[in-house]
Amino acid sequence: MGRTLPSITQAFIQEQEAFSRFRRALRRGDQLALDDLFASARQHLSAAAYAAHALPMETFLLSMLLEQHKEILRLRQQMAELTGDLDA
Amino acid sequence: MPDRVGWLLDLYEDDREGVVLWLIGDDGERCRLRQDFPVTFYAAGDPEQLRALQSFLRAQPEKLRLYRAQRRDLFHDQPLTLLAVEMSAPICQPRLFKRIARRFPGLDYYDADLNITLRHAARWGTFPLARCYISADDEGTVRELRVLDSPWDLDPLGAPLRVLALKPDCDPAHAQPKVLIARHDGHKYRFSLQPERPLLINLRALLRRVDPDLLLTVSGDTWLLPLLLSLAKKHNLPLPLNREVGRGVLHKKAGTYFSYGQIIYRGQQILLYGRCHIDCRNAMMWQSYDLEGALESARVTALPIQIAARVSPGTGISSMQITTALRNDILVPWRKQQVERPKTALDLIRFDQGGLVYQPITGLHFDVGMIDFVSMYPSIMVRSNISPETPFPDRLGSSDHPPGLVPLTLKPLLEKRIALKQRALSLPKWDPRRRKDKARSSAHKWLLVTCFGYLGYKNARFGRIEAHEAVTTWGREALLRAKEAAEEMGFRVLHMYVDGLWVQKDGCREPDDFQPLLEEIAARTSLPISLDGVYRWVVFLPSRVDDRLPVPNRYFGVFQDGSVKARGIDLRRRDAAPFVADAQCEMLRCLARAQSPADLQRQVPEAVDILRRRLHALRTGRVPLEDLLVGKKLSKQLAGYRVPSPGARAVMQLQAAGKSVYPGQRVRLIFIRGGAGVHAWDLPYPPDPAAVDVDHYQELILRAAANLLQPFGLDEEALLIWVRADLGCQLRLPLRTWRRRRPPPVIHLDPALYPEPCCQ
Repeated sequence: MGRTLPSITQAFIQEQEAFSRFRRALRRGDQLALDDLFASARQHLSAAAYAAHALPMETFLLSMLLEQHKEILRLRQQMAELTGDLDA
Repeated sequence: MPDRVGWLLDLYEDDREGVVLWLIGDDGERCRLRQDFPVTFYAAGDPEQLRALQSFLRAQPEKLRLYRAQRRDLFHDQPLTLLAVEMSAPICQPRLFKRIARRFPGLDYYDADLNITLRHAARWGTFPLARCYISADDEGTVRELRVLDSPWDLDPLGAPLRVLALKPDCDPAHAQPKVLIARHDGHKYRFSLQPERPLLINLRALLRRVDPDLLLTVSGDTWLLPLLLSLAKKHNLPLPLNREVGRGVLHKKAGTYFSYGQIIYRGQQILLYGRCHIDCRNAMMWQSYDLEGALESARVTALPIQIAARVSPGTGISSMQITTALRNDILVPWRKQQVERPKTALDLIRFDQGGLVYQPITGLHFDVGMIDFVSMYPSIMVRSNISPETPFPDRLGSSDHPPGLVPLTLKPLLEKRIALKQRALSLPKWDPRRRKDKARSSAHKWLLVTCFGYLGYKNARFGRIEAHEAVTTWGREALLRAKEAAEEMGFRVLHMYVDGLWVQKDGCREPDDFQPLLEEIAARTSLPISLDGVYRWVVFLPSRVDDRLPVPNRYFGVFQDGSVKARGIDLRRRDAAPFVADAQCEMLRCLARAQSPADLQRQVPEAVDILRRRLHALRTGRVPLEDLLVGKKLSKQLAGYRVPSPGARAVMQLQAAGKSVYPGQRVRLIFIRGGAGVHAWDLPYPPDPAAVDVDHYQELILRAAANLLQPFGLDEEALLIWVRADLGCQLRLPLRTWRRRRPPPVIHLDPALYPEPCCQ
């Protein structure tokens, strides 16, 4: 409504659509994984909007990395708990 | 004439000179007074053209006084030299100005199209229902006028308004009414609409006997008053709808307009002189603030009661700004000339943003504190002195510059709203002032909300986009400071939405547990903040399209006192059928009875039971047709639809039956099997109850129920099985959130995890 620039959600959808040819050529399993990546970037749209970066895709890529790193930390912790259980 | 004290009811231009005032005297007498009240407007621009205008004006029949004046335009640093045109007959001003503007389009005009009540308010401090002391001569000409109270009083002495309510026995858009029901002071009268002559005679007698101050009608603008006026003409029996003798009523045409992302339709209006007419159907936001709110918005905006009840809050707030400008000798431009100053692309990216809206952590959460800033944007405007003419503030909090026009206008309104809110907290539940205060503070709320919007509206007289952006910039800053404070104090921030945040911390359950956080946020932002309440539990729902995606404004929850708050689900949607909304509401109230997580688990089968009962009623035809009505708004002209929506199809049916519907109007319909799939409720013939599309309504109610029960692992399919198999009471449900149902994202792909589709 009355905006000069597209909102961050619109920018995100545009960026995602820009990769539609790439997605189409991927195998089904890879397509689903790619969708997961984009979904994880969407978790941080408000932060991306606040950042107001001139190239929003960089922020979206960083958001994907962020979610991945969180996942690694979570798995690492789980692993530590499991090995801890084994040691005990 | 003796001196009088009373309430000012109405004020308008006199037929000859000055203005007419209607006073409700303390003795109960309604008295008509006249006051000399010259009005002035200004022209500025090319000296050659100004001289031409001056000689043109000298040749006009109206009595005028012309002189040079210096005044301040908000958007210029130096005062402007202007040609002032003063006239003693305000009633002639609009017509004269129209002639001038057409003949001299190159000049800038100021104070040229202002409502007379605003001019009077600026000069004399009057407002509708103000307590006034008036001394007048024998002809009723005012010699002295003093206003004894202020629109900012919390408990003004209420005027003893005589209200006559008129309504037809059914909705005239739906069927032909037969009876007119009148109510006054606890008495009820019924007038048959046929035959016409006795109706007019009886109504005239009632109007004369009651002599109402306020005519409160249902469909009075669009149906009743036009009908009565045409009947009165036909039978040559004039009706004393006006108090002012010898004047016709004022008609205003219907219109459709676009506001805040919505298409809105406003029917034609009929305004009276000497009394007020309010049509509840045509009044703005009548549902949320009724008569009390309408009177309050008239008092604070100084617009006449019947206009204040009908205009949007945007017009209300610009009226308040105009009064402030007039009082401070600031010119009110007729048409604003300023344009946005050039910006770099980076500036644009940084500032063209709204409030911060986060994605919530979806799922079910217990013991959540809801904190929000009290009227955040207006508070920022007042505290940081944000106004079109003041410099961009460099911090949150007090400013070194003298207060600008916008903060000056808002400050008393904001203070009154906060005072009313604080009082509401201390009043016991049974106190009648609670309802009144709520209606009044809701009127204030809309004025304050739109004030922010008007700052960014290019046609607003005192708007400037940079000021609008400054408000959101500091709003985002305040919310982030609140988040930082919360996280530093060990809270988990579940969600943030423009001016509020939802926080959670182990062991924090009572309002007092959140007090230190409130104090810290107030210290860091210097804005007023309050605890809206503590939720026993709250659910943030994901997107309907993809349940991986959180959406900001779809949630429901229960406060500690058992009250329910919901956003974005069917019971809040205006187009939901009452059958669906009521069922969802009953289910939510059933869940709300749970005190603890364990209780909540036990309530689920009971909620499913409600769904089962409702579905059974639907299947056996025991739901009244009215409860199945869905209200759809027509958002554009019919020709604009490529594939007609159900609403558009209903409109086509109505048009075929000779009834017209305009964009912005709501059309009520019922879903039926076969044919167009819908039946417009206002068609002259009723729908066949046997044709109701039961399957469609079943889908709607299941979807509504699934919204509530999703957190307990029940989607539409599962619910259908439950309801059908009648197993609800025996099942024990695991309490979990649906976020955990799908595997977390995987980085190194195991081909077995995502099976290849069988055909490629």
